[in-house]
Amino acid sequence: MTSLPTFTMERVFNAPRDLVWKAWTDPELLARWYGPGVETVIHEFDLKVGGVWRNEMRMKGKDGSPMSDFSLMTFTKVDPKTNIDFELASTDQNWTPQPSQMMPDWPRLFDTKFVFEDDGAQTKVTITQVPLNATDAEIACFAGMVDHMGHGWGAGFNVIADILAELQD
Amino acid sequence: MEQIGYINNPPNQANLDAIFSALADPTRRAILSRLTEGEASVQELAQPFEMSQPAVSKHLKVLERAGLVERDIDQQRRPARLKAENMAIAADWLETYKKFWAKSFDQLDGILEEMKHNND
Repeated sequence: MTSLPTFTMERVFNAPRDLVWKAWTDPELLARWYGPGVETVIHEFDLKVGGVWRNEMRMKGKDGSPMSDFSLMTFTKVDPKTNIDFELASTDQNWTPQPSQMMPDWPRLFDTKFVFEDDGAQTKVTITQVPLNATDAEIACFAGMVDHMGHGWGAGFNVIADILAELQD
Repeated sequence: MEQIGYINNPPNQANLDAIFSALADPTRRAILSRLTEGEASVQELAQPFEMSQPAVSKHLKVLERAGLVERDIDQQRRPARLKAENMAIAADWLETYKKFWAKSFDQLDGILEEMKHNND
């Protein structure tokens, strides 16, 4: 099988694996860190294979009115302190999967994997995201994005950055 | 507090997936790179890539459709040039996507520090 475009990010946390696992799997703690600078509300969190995580991120729209981003995660693998895998779907407020509001060809479903590993006294967390059941157009769209982001902001992104820099001269 | 950019500031939505698809190809990225040096005709673009002019024209069409490049209609050589604003949209969006996890992980860092202190 040809490999699908994959988004990967790695981070080492200065804490033992037990603690990282707890911060990840206690919904109260999870809601405090998941989502960049937004209010995250976890409506359901059932950490077992087949269980779901219903997530709402509340933010303000351009005109200042409140708006929410909903996603439904279904766990496909849970190995304590080692692995959490889930399928992530963008949804409407009734948790029905829907195309991205943002890009028509953005994949609707992502296979998301977290791996937790010891790194000395620290803990390394690796996230990978791969489009799932995606159409060719969705895969191409995601591949275009990953191509820029992956490989530590690879060649593609440098082109954009260079172009933007030149245009500011 | 910092907000998610893609919700606050929706870019030209119809274009964004076309932009990423267009940028997925290394030849098209090379063409964009070349165009940062200034406008160029199909013939001028074809030379360094050792590609036929029809092949270059095809790539240019994809870039044009994505709104990354524009071409003069009324001149014989129809030079292509960059359209910067859509590049900026793509760069913004990439930044936002990367920031989602980077920022979340920063927040997780903070919570872990707190938890360590509470454990003491």
